[in-house]
Amino acid sequence: MKSKNELKEIADFIADYATCLLGSGVHTSRVIRNSDRIGKALGVTMKMTSFPKTIILSVYDTDSDNVQTEVVSIPPLPINFEYNSELSGLSWDAYDGLLTLDEIRRRYHAVRARRVMPPALIVLLVGLANAAFCRLFGGDWGAVGVVFAATAAGFSVRRYMQRLKVNHFIVFSVSALTSSMIASAALWFDGTAEIALATSVLYLIPGVPLINGVIDIMEGHSLTGVSRLIQAVLLIICIAVGMSLPLLLFKSSVL
Amino acid sequence: MIVAILTDGLFAAVAGIGFGAISYPPRRAFPYIAVLAAIGHALRFYLMTAWHVDIAIASFCASLTIGIFALLFGRRIYCPMTVLYIPALLPMIPGMYAYKSVYGLLMFMQNLDAAVMSNLYLQTFLTNTLITVSTLFMLAIGATLPIFIIPKTTYSLTRKHKDKSNS
Repeated sequence: MKSKNELKEIADFIADYATCLLGSGVHTSRVIRNSDRIGKALGVTMKMTSFPKTIILSVYDTDSDNVQTEVVSIPPLPINFEYNSELSGLSWDAYDGLLTLDEIRRRYHAVRARRVMPPALIVLLVGLANAAFCRLFGGDWGAVGVVFAATAAGFSVRRYMQRLKVNHFIVFSVSALTSSMIASAALWFDGTAEIALATSVLYLIPGVPLINGVIDIMEGHSLTGVSRLIQAVLLIICIAVGMSLPLLLFKSSVL
Repeated sequence: MIVAILTDGLFAAVAGIGFGAISYPPRRAFPYIAVLAAIGHALRFYLMTAWHVDIAIASFCASLTIGIFALLFGRRIYCPMTVLYIPALLPMIPGMYAYKSVYGLLMFMQNLDAAVMSNLYLQTFLTNTLITVSTLFMLAIGATLPIFIIPKTTYSLTRKHKDKSNS
């Protein structure tokens, strides 16, 4: 049997764990399964309801009538697949190895404290990715170079504005504007400028919420799924808004 | 033809790694993301050029293949499927069609007074939007399909100690 305090500690941890996963781009059913597994490992029953911005969870002691219920908001974290895989693995380790709460908590904080890739390297990789993308669409090498510069600049703008906690939609519009303005430089020196313009903003496409939205809806978590899709569609509209200024300015030269 | 397919796969791999890096995958996943992106995009390129399959169906075949390989790779390196296949799908986003939809809409609004031109741009907008949306939909469905066909396996990819199981 667990004391009220122990039960509260468990509930606090699971709430923290689940909101971290939901905030960093993991689809709903995986979060519920992972949290459930941790609950089982700690000898409690866990029930959870997930909304787009909050979760409600109750932790029941299997040996007594004690219940601990918490309503926790989901923090807007950057998408992080490392949390997705390592914290899912942690839930299995807890379940198979029956770790104590302290041990689980220690490993959880170790994963969260891990250093992420250096920003300069990410800017380089994203630039190369979008440049390769431009090549896939048939852009010539001039367009590829321009897209690399446009992407690196736009992505840096996006990171900078996100650090300042500017509204998400404004961040996406301004980054798309930056990238497509720079990409329209391709108009002056090659024939595949429209491919450069088209690809320069594609690093902004919110692929993770799009796919997670589809998975959530198909697994019956329609509320969260639809809200993810709405967010993704709005962001895509923002990208379109951002790139329409250079299109209007240079419309006589494109197509 | 073979050279074209290989270069296509190579550029897709670079694109997959870069787009993946935005979402911070675990370091061990990068080589697999690159391979998945290359397999998927090269397959779609092959289907579309050699067999003249349309982009939506070709994308579906490619993303289904990515999904199946993501399942095999995920079991090997203890990664959930979504971690591997989302970055690998991104190089297949129909960017040119998306761009032409935006362009069509803008030019439609610019040519409201000219009936012929505005009709033309409306058509550009509708055609390209339809292609974009259906391709994106097929991409998402194809890669996700293995999750619904064999949920038990896909749900336990990150499990390392199956032998010590207590249930």
